[in-house]
Amino acid sequence: MSPVIIVLAVISAILAVSMLFARNPITSALCLLGVLIMTAGIYGLIGEHLVATIQLVVYAGAIMVLFIFSIMLLNLNNEETDFKTKPGVFFGAIALGMTVFGFIIYGLNEHFMNHRNDVTAGQFTPERIHELGGNSKVLAHALFTQYYVSFEVISLALLIAVVGAVVLAKRKFD
Amino acid sequence: MTNDVLIQILAAFLFTMGMLVVLLRRDTIMVLLGIELLLNAANLSLVAFSKSMGMVEGQLQVFFVITIAAAESAIGLSILVNLYRNFGSIKTQSATTLKG
Repeated sequence: MSPVIIVLAVISAILAVSMLFARNPITSALCLLGVLIMTAGIYGLIGEHLVATIQLVVYAGAIMVLFIFSIMLLNLNNEETDFKTKPGVFFGAIALGMTVFGFIIYGLNEHFMNHRNDVTAGQFTPERIHELGGNSKVLAHALFTQYYVSFEVISLALLIAVVGAVVLAKRKFD
Repeated sequence: MTNDVLIQILAAFLFTMGMLVVLLRRDTIMVLLGIELLLNAANLSLVAFSKSMGMVEGQLQVFFVITIAAAESAIGLSILVNLYRNFGSIKTQSATTLKG
């Protein structure tokens, strides 16, 4: 396995932990931004160039800017940023998280050790993708032919959501 | 341990961290950030599995998930601005009445 992917994975795990324990929402948002950029790097390294670009432009670019803008707009003071929970709640949540993590690892172990060969592989091997003209071309072709209706529906949903967001944010309550 | 296994373990860890952020933090904005982390972990898992099995369906699903995440964060943040305007605070426990 590639050492660069290991480095990116370790950095994003550290950033995720520091996002959980950061006191200031801005720090948390910047940690999440780091996680998203590291994830985009991993996508690029395993050869998914189009997904990496979309992740950088839309996720790390647009959505995180929206988050950081609204954190600054709301002007959260330190009384909003404290992070107090009862010890019972804290350790209960940690135990629940460990349980979920354990179940996912158990499922992954089952898949990779026992059921790896049960699934039939698709046709898009790296050689085939290279033959067809690269990752972006293959994905775009599938998106605009097979998944054309889903693409149109999702763009309409995004338009409605953004109009709804403007209406909600500008609305004056009496 | 191959790249696939490493990426799946990272996705599981990020999912756990996102769940803990949603459960433990008191600010509504932190809950929204935790949801973004959950979606990102699910995306990572989808792309890695789809890549290792030679398919493109996972990557296309990731486009749709990112679009839904953008819509969700726009709606969520405008609700949050309204919450701050009405209650003067964005803590989850301060929004206790339906009538603002």
